[in-house]
Amino acid sequence: MSIKLFITLVSTPWPESATLYQPLKEDQILLSDCASSLAVQAYLRMCGLPVQVVCRANAEYMSPSGKIPFIHVGNQVVSELGPIVQFTKAKGNSLSDGLDDIQRAEMKAYMELVNNMLLTAELYIQWCDDATAAEISRPRYSSPYSWPLSNILAYQKQWEVRRKMNAVGWGGKTLEQVYEDVNQCCQALSQRLGTQPYFFNKQPTELDALVFGHLFTILTTRLTSTELAERIKSYSNLLSFCRRIEQTYFEDKSS
Amino acid sequence: LKTAFSEPNMAAAMELRCWGGDWGLPSVHSESLIVQAYAKFSGAKVKVVPIDWTWKTLTATVPELLCGDSAVQEPTNILNYLRKQRFNADYELTARQGADTMAYIALLEEKLRPALLHTFWVDAENYANLTRPWFASRSPFPLNFLVPSHHANTALSRILLTKGEASLHGITEVEGKIYSDAKECLNLLSYRLGTANYFFGNLPTSLDAFVFGFVAPIYKASLPSSPLQSHLRQLDNLTSFCDNILAVYFTHTMTNTISPPPPVQETMDANLQKLTQLVNKESNLIEKMDDNLRSSPQHKPHRPDPKPSLASEQSSTPA
Repeated sequence: MSIKLFITLVSTPWPESATLYQPLKEDQILLSDCASSLAVQAYLRMCGLPVQVVCRANAEYMSPSGKIPFIHVGNQVVSELGPIVQFTKAKGNSLSDGLDDIQRAEMKAYMELVNNMLLTAELYIQWCDDATAAEISRPRYSSPYSWPLSNILAYQKQWEVRRKMNAVGWGGKTLEQVYEDVNQCCQALSQRLGTQPYFFNKQPTELDALVFGHLFTILTTRLTSTELAERIKSYSNLLSFCRRIEQTYFEDKSS
Repeated sequence: LKTAFSEPNMAAAMELRCWGGDWGLPSVHSESLIVQAYAKFSGAKVKVVPIDWTWKTLTATVPELLCGDSAVQEPTNILNYLRKQRFNADYELTARQGADTMAYIALLEEKLRPALLHTFWVDAENYANLTRPWFASRSPFPLNFLVPSHHANTALSRILLTKGEASLHGITEVEGKIYSDAKECLNLLSYRLGTANYFFGNLPTSLDAFVFGFVAPIYKASLPSSPLQSHLRQLDNLTSFCDNILAVYFTHTMTNTISPPPPVQETMDANLQKLTQLVNKESNLIEKMDDNLRSSPQHKPHRPDPKPSLASEQSSTPA
């Protein structure tokens, strides 16, 4: 990062007009994108940084990395939770400053656990499970477009995601195995959370935002089967964790 | 009653197919290292069969554990299988430590694996000078032309699919990111390890096996150009961690020393002890039983020629 850019970043305060872009909420957005978007929204609310949520059908194409969500702040465009956390840190807002090195290592490890297991499982269920792909994912993903573009885009996306699943070794898994992986991930998160209000004591960090984004979205999204939500519901401390964050940071918003 | 005889003598022999070793390591392949390390940590007796110079270099998925009729692939599945066979190095971990294990393994997969793949298979200098010659020299003709490029293509596509931000981006855009992620990952591991010998207490667990498998090749390979290796060499506790595991668990495997096999001796003694407890506690019976066992048919392979049996028991790489 050049010195000039760095100084610009640090010196300009967070503008009121900061916006977060995501696909259309009612018809288009899918489980995994909704989870990532909610995680970023939760994080920004925890930092006390105001942001407007704007829904656009072509949000995925506007994003610099092709991933949802992205934020438009001043003349900067940043996508995905990791870079957004670094961006806000450069502006002087950070939730994890109080952690020591070992705790920060733990926090990053658990964030990767969520990305590695929960996010991958969401993508698998959306695009590799034929029933879900046909009934929910393809129709929703292609809803803003007319035929034949809708078909082409939906199948292209499905092909892309399936390639990725094969590359990371999830291509051969069955749906049952994926549910079991999600269960183990939630068990690990539940163990780590214990009886604390947040993962690191009394203050939330980006890990709390990420876990909330994914768990809350899974609990409140209707899929072809409720198996996924049921697995999460069996961990009561995770449920109260989600409720607590919803009430503290999203009380003006209806879920 | 049953376990005294059934465990060491009648447990089905387990065979592990791996890539061979070099650079001071029992295997140059990360996944093979993970499984071999875990087998040592948990006391599982596996016979390591390198796939070098066989057609399996192209056809087999490595590492692969064969036990009786079942074949298990992928380190996570193999470790689970070994745990079910009561070879459990994680027995003493708390639930919280088990959760931490999952998290740190995810960190390794997401942040270190792409750079590991890149260093060995995509970086032009390393691939041309180290990786391709090594793998080509260990593959039979004509596979030596196919095997390295097949692995290199798989590695490149895996990096691009998981880290590439858009299908139009090439490898150069992601290189900076994957290496800075990898350096950060190594730093985090170093913080977490601190001054301890292993990640959880005094005995190694599956997390130690995973970290060893990922870090040791970067540490030990004679890479012509690697900023990642230089970075790793500055993290003394991680390099000592690798050296410590090699010294404690892998010395006799790699030095091929011919000496009476201590593990077998201990197993036989344990059997004899249990046997005398069952039959009689008097000491003269130990000698009688000892003679009986030594001359009985099942121990014949061990007596006449120590060399071949040593090779099979010690699981060393073929001379």
